[in-house]
Amino acid sequence: MSAKEWRTVSNIPLKGVYGPEDIPNGHRDAMQAPPGTAPYMRGAYGEMYRGKPWRIFQLSGFGSPEEEGERIRFLLEHGETGFIMEHDRNTADHMYNVDHAEVMARKEDVGLTGAVIQSVRDYETVLDGIDLAKTYGHPGGGVVQHAPFALGCYWSVARRRGLDLSTLPGTGQSDFFLTYLGCVTKQQIPTDAGLRFNCDIIEFCAEHMKRWVPVSVAGYNGADSGLNAWQELGVVMANAVEYLDEIKRRGNTPVEVAARAVGGMNFRVAMDFFEEIAKLRAARKMWHDLVSRRYGITDPKVKALRLHIVTAGSAMTYQQPLNNIARGTLMALASVLGGTQSLGVSGYDEALSIPSEHAHQMSLRIQQILQEETNVPAVADPLAGSYFVESLTAEVEEKAWAFFEEIQAQGGFLRALDSGWLHRKAGENQLDFQQRLENGEADLVGVTKYEDDHTPYELDGFRGQSGEWQRAHERLEAVRSERDGNRARSALAAVEAACRSDQNIMPAMLEACDAEVTVGEFGEVFRAAYGDWATPI
Amino acid sequence: MSTDLRNTRKVLFAKTGLDGHWRGPLLVTGALEEAGFDVMMLGMATPEETAAAALRDKPDLIGLNICGHIDVVKRTVAMLQEQLPETPIFAGGTVAPWARKELEAIGVEVYPPGSKLKDIVAAAHRLTEG
Repeated sequence: MSAKEWRTVSNIPLKGVYGPEDIPNGHRDAMQAPPGTAPYMRGAYGEMYRGKPWRIFQLSGFGSPEEEGERIRFLLEHGETGFIMEHDRNTADHMYNVDHAEVMARKEDVGLTGAVIQSVRDYETVLDGIDLAKTYGHPGGGVVQHAPFALGCYWSVARRRGLDLSTLPGTGQSDFFLTYLGCVTKQQIPTDAGLRFNCDIIEFCAEHMKRWVPVSVAGYNGADSGLNAWQELGVVMANAVEYLDEIKRRGNTPVEVAARAVGGMNFRVAMDFFEEIAKLRAARKMWHDLVSRRYGITDPKVKALRLHIVTAGSAMTYQQPLNNIARGTLMALASVLGGTQSLGVSGYDEALSIPSEHAHQMSLRIQQILQEETNVPAVADPLAGSYFVESLTAEVEEKAWAFFEEIQAQGGFLRALDSGWLHRKAGENQLDFQQRLENGEADLVGVTKYEDDHTPYELDGFRGQSGEWQRAHERLEAVRSERDGNRARSALAAVEAACRSDQNIMPAMLEACDAEVTVGEFGEVFRAAYGDWATPI
Repeated sequence: MSTDLRNTRKVLFAKTGLDGHWRGPLLVTGALEEAGFDVMMLGMATPEETAAAALRDKPDLIGLNICGHIDVVKRTVAMLQEQLPETPIFAGGTVAPWARKELEAIGVEVYPPGSKLKDIVAAAHRLTEG
């Protein structure tokens, strides 16, 4: 029998011990530069967590707007420092009202993955009692076609409360990886229309909302669909280039201003501990090199990449679910050692259901234990200079650039989505990993090994509630009958006109959201204006 | 395309919900195709669409992908069992233990996350024999 061949999950061979000869010469300059200095491989900020702890930032929500607001307030009261709203997949992702035929056919599913939010009224309900001026909010605009609505409603709520949009803190997402790669919707606008929406949001925020991150480039769903560490890194950079090249072509906003707005990225961190740390270090260096070389950007604030990490939901096993608390802790630790600015830890019951309140609380507690009890935050980039970690960082970076170039050869990020090329890459890795598990080349504790649980702890999984469709339908009817119908109609017509012209859609979206136009009505307009994406899988 | 279809066993797959997670279903359908099954992937389909496709195509086995909730799955199963009482149904995906028990009680074999492809393929062979 041959000796075990050690490789990272992304197939990088690992030696038993590393020495100075393993660090490429080209990597040494970056090693010498302290955190907070170019190329920022060692950290976006000099003081790192002494200056500012990472933000505890969890995805949350289910059921009705009232329940979602309650869960968010629960998390904020328990130490969360920002919040992400979760939406019902049936309605939000597809931009359907609850009386759309596709939703009517599945009434029982409604409200089980997130609150059903159909108009600005529902946003007001969720956000009731939350200080938007002081809380870092994510209105849940993860889905590209849904983001203008999510942002428009959240910003309308802020304006109705008399807040100044120019100082409102928060972030959008508008994430191509989510519904074009990871969790593909039945219907959505084509990628080019999505790019136009995202650039409209970037330009609107650059002009009016300096404290708002308009979109974030988010590799999570690409990685959780199968892309490996260096592929995730390469594809995220290719996505950023798609936005910045388009902003440059449009010529309305300086690329440097747009790049500052977009200068936050979201990655997944999974179980290959050192490879994930290497990935985050390499990400900062790559972003620095990309914006310096490709766009000639010199502003240090733009070149220092800020990271948001979500730990891998797919790493959470169905079997022996409490083991996932250990997995969540390890992935959180890797994220922090990699220098993230904010972190969400996946729920230990993620493979069973959407997170229970207890699983949510554990995700917070894992982070709080790391912040309060371990001294891990005391030192910036503590693994710097490790022969192994530096060598792996250099290798991940090299492979990521090669993958970036492969994507460019496909015509860029959006064309690689349209053609299904990225889906095939992800699919190959999934199959490979599954085969390694089944051949005994890789193992999962409690799944392929140590399956006997002598003291079984059964989790039943979160159930949610039924009857949400009915309540959502009543709210929808109330909005339709109580709003100023003429104002809503003309506001929606203005959105349609903006969609069919090259004006920025966001001013019209804000007015229409404030006029209580519903998500499904916007969806109809978008579908009529742009048609449907030809799904490549 | 094979000219001899007599021994080809057909499996109809559908996603009952509007949740588009595809990695699980694609792995499973790929493994079944590899094992010689004729796989028809309906994608996201309503209970009525799934039942209509099953009546039309007369599959030897029906696979349902589940993303958390099972009320619509149970409604789909009831329709299928009424129209095609002899056709076995299996399901996989994110399915909580309580939901698994409910589905097994109505005669649906359930493969939760962590199931091996070879076990799923073996089940497809077993369920389509005879």
